[in-house]
Amino acid sequence: MKNQMELTFLSQPENEAFARMVISAFLVRVNPTLSVVSEVRTAVSEAVTNAVVHAYDTRDGRILLRAGIEGDVLTVEVEDFGRGIANVEEAMQPFFTTQPDQERTGMGFALMQSFMDVLRVQSAPDCGTVVHMEKSLVEA
Amino acid sequence: MVTFERGKGRLRVFLVGEIDHCAAEGLRAQIEQQLKDLSIRELWLDFTQVTFMDSSGIGMVIGRYKTMAARGGAVFACGLHPPVDRLFRMAGLHRIIGELPEGGRDEP
Repeated sequence: MKNQMELTFLSQPENEAFARMVISAFLVRVNPTLSVVSEVRTAVSEAVTNAVVHAYDTRDGRILLRAGIEGDVLTVEVEDFGRGIANVEEAMQPFFTTQPDQERTGMGFALMQSFMDVLRVQSAPDCGTVVHMEKSLVEA
Repeated sequence: MVTFERGKGRLRVFLVGEIDHCAAEGLRAQIEQQLKDLSIRELWLDFTQVTFMDSSGIGMVIGRYKTMAARGGAVFACGLHPPVDRLFRMAGLHRIIGELPEGGRDEP
């Protein structure tokens, strides 16, 4: 099967749930297991939350959710056009957070990593961030 | 959404729905409001009706643990569905949060 979708929404916390609903709906056609849906939903939620929390100072920044299915592989990208990450390697360290006072755990990238098969983060200061994830829809 | 039940020295919190970044901020404020009562020594978090949780939920739980630990109190959890339980374990929450039997009826 081959399918693709693309969605743009604003950097508002309410859109975190919206993005999860959209990715779940996109997956329905391939009849995934509950555990695959749960893992993908969590990974998307983490990526979108990062964009909402960190990318912009305002609530009207653009966030893009792109997804594709090719054969048994799901590809998901979450892109923003905001402040970017100066040191991606540091940001991806488990428990690293710039906002401990906001009860951020710094677990976001670690969860994306463990729930998806592939995680790539492309970012530069003031040039936005692209989080690219892939996951096999056939359970090992 | 959330409902509260007061017992002697105890606050039970029935969490409902999805605990993400958006929901966690409201929950934090609502629970902290209740915890202003310093006679509360035990915080019971009931996850039975939680349908989704991500790392923001973990942050919310750790934050309430800190509030309770600061007064020498404790936090207990019950009704952890497999995906929530998995997050609890990945975050090491089982080391600081006691788990109650299903429904949390038994005394910890």
